[in-house]
Amino acid sequence: MIDLAGVRKRFGATLALDGVTCRLDGRAIGLLGPNGAGKTTLMKVLLGLIRPDEGQVRVLGLDATREPRAVRMRLGYAAEGPGRMPGLSGLESVAYAAELCGLRRRQALLRAHDMLDLVGLDESRYRDVETYSTGMHQRVKVAMALVHDPDLVLLDEPTSGLDPQSRDALLDLVVHLRDGGGPAVLLSTHLLKDVERTCDACLIMQAGQVRFAGRLADLQLPQAATYDLRLARPCPPLAAALEASGAAVTLGRRPEVMEVRLPEGAPVEAIWRAIAATDAAVFHLEPRAASLEEAFLHAIGEAP
Amino acid sequence: MTEDRVHAIGYQRIAAPGRRASAIWPIARTLVTLALKRRATKLALILCLGVVVGHGIWLTVQLLSVRFAAELGMRAGAFRLQDAVGNVQEVLASYLQIQFYFTTPAIAVVAGGAIADDRRAGAFELYFSRPLTRLSYGLGKIVGTAAVPLTTLFLATLILWLAAVGIAPPHIRADLWSLALPALVGAGLATAVLTAGMVGMSALARRSTGVAVAFVALLLLGSAVAEGLAESHQLWGGYLSPERDLRTLFDALLEPGASSFAGSILGGRARVNPSVAGSALALGLYIAAGLGALWVGIRREVTS
Repeated sequence: MIDLAGVRKRFGATLALDGVTCRLDGRAIGLLGPNGAGKTTLMKVLLGLIRPDEGQVRVLGLDATREPRAVRMRLGYAAEGPGRMPGLSGLESVAYAAELCGLRRRQALLRAHDMLDLVGLDESRYRDVETYSTGMHQRVKVAMALVHDPDLVLLDEPTSGLDPQSRDALLDLVVHLRDGGGPAVLLSTHLLKDVERTCDACLIMQAGQVRFAGRLADLQLPQAATYDLRLARPCPPLAAALEASGAAVTLGRRPEVMEVRLPEGAPVEAIWRAIAATDAAVFHLEPRAASLEEAFLHAIGEAP
Repeated sequence: MTEDRVHAIGYQRIAAPGRRASAIWPIARTLVTLALKRRATKLALILCLGVVVGHGIWLTVQLLSVRFAAELGMRAGAFRLQDAVGNVQEVLASYLQIQFYFTTPAIAVVAGGAIADDRRAGAFELYFSRPLTRLSYGLGKIVGTAAVPLTTLFLATLILWLAAVGIAPPHIRADLWSLALPALVGAGLATAVLTAGMVGMSALARRSTGVAVAFVALLLLGSAVAEGLAESHQLWGGYLSPERDLRTLFDALLEPGASSFAGSILGGRARVNPSVAGSALALGLYIAAGLGALWVGIRREVTS
């Protein structure tokens, strides 16, 4: 769906994209990264709004630098900023966006109503957009991005500034699009939970470089493994035996519970050997799944 | 479950996209629709309507009096009457000249923010993240802006001419047929000058009010200064005034002759530039400068 090869873009002294190379497929892709990572620049490059200094950009099989209009016809974009049409109502804004994409007036109006129903904007759709709350603005922007029935919709920080209820509703919509035969979604955010909840693939960026690109399930802590260990009864020598084998042990509130972090490349057998040596009675041993936050911090090189 | 309950049916793809419509007309229509919501626009257009009605009355009185005089065989009287009420050429030339003054603030109110407001509201991203070319955007803004002078100058001139043809006695009607083209060419030129100047200034600015004030000041006060130069024997100064250049062309096209008593009430025949070709060239340069500014303004905002 998205194929980038050596994409580089510089704004003055700032290198916004530094040799971005990745291939992304999926129904919902999270674009993660701290502020200034190059997420918005990358979205604009995908749209053909910014021409990269170097590299190739292919979106949905089209070259975004050579055929930007054809790409934009198949993409929807909800920008992060306050971009709006002052003086228009929500309905007029969405219908206008449809007409800009070539839909005829009548079809644009019908489609605008459908999309506003989808994003949950009720009769306030007839009010001037300048009277809208942040949540309503975001919904209108998403409706404008969807109105011409794109194959891929780019949402730039769609949940920023939203109250929890509106945020839930918007993320539900992304899940609905992912699962309901709508366009694929590229969701740019710095909220890991949003990605965890909605996406099946992700691209992690930092300082204009790709740190991870692939399925969310593949995003794990690749080196050190952490295990939750629970004993039937306390066994103080076990912690010492584990530490002697190079593992880091963190005792829990109760003495029979501990967290064991094995050194890089060490197999789980190291734990079993220590258990056998100290004759400890194991009740539970389970590898701890790395949270997305841990994996993200690891990917951008800020893991604790 | 009640019958009037609304059910969300989820995301639906567009079944039959159909042929794509041009975005020029929606852009123009939206510009005019937004302008018509403002009270200042309505006031400016009412004043323009007043000019049309005033000249319509003058034309009607003139032609009916000539007609009655002709029917009563008062040829000598009719000549005196014509000295008092003028001829159709004079009405049309006067109309174009006076309506130009009234249309200048009207177009400034309607289209001062045509592009400046898009820049201020961050709407460029909204436009150009869609399959819209800079040309379509520019043409849409030109058509929307031109709607005002096309109505107040071009269409109204056509209506006045048609009224003249309808009311005029047969011996005058034959002369009026040949008047349509020069009158409409004059109206078209005024339309082009006002439209190009307005969109050009709006494309370079950020605030609609500032653009409107600057446009009116430049066109009307600047013209007054240029008139002053021309009257103080600096003849080149006359070509710096678009209004004087237009007046020169109106007179050359319509050949209204000496000012009548009715015409002198409305200010009479003002002086014109010595060279019609020079005025035409100056107007061409104004139009080119306006369109050039529009192109530069759009290009500055949108890279591709």
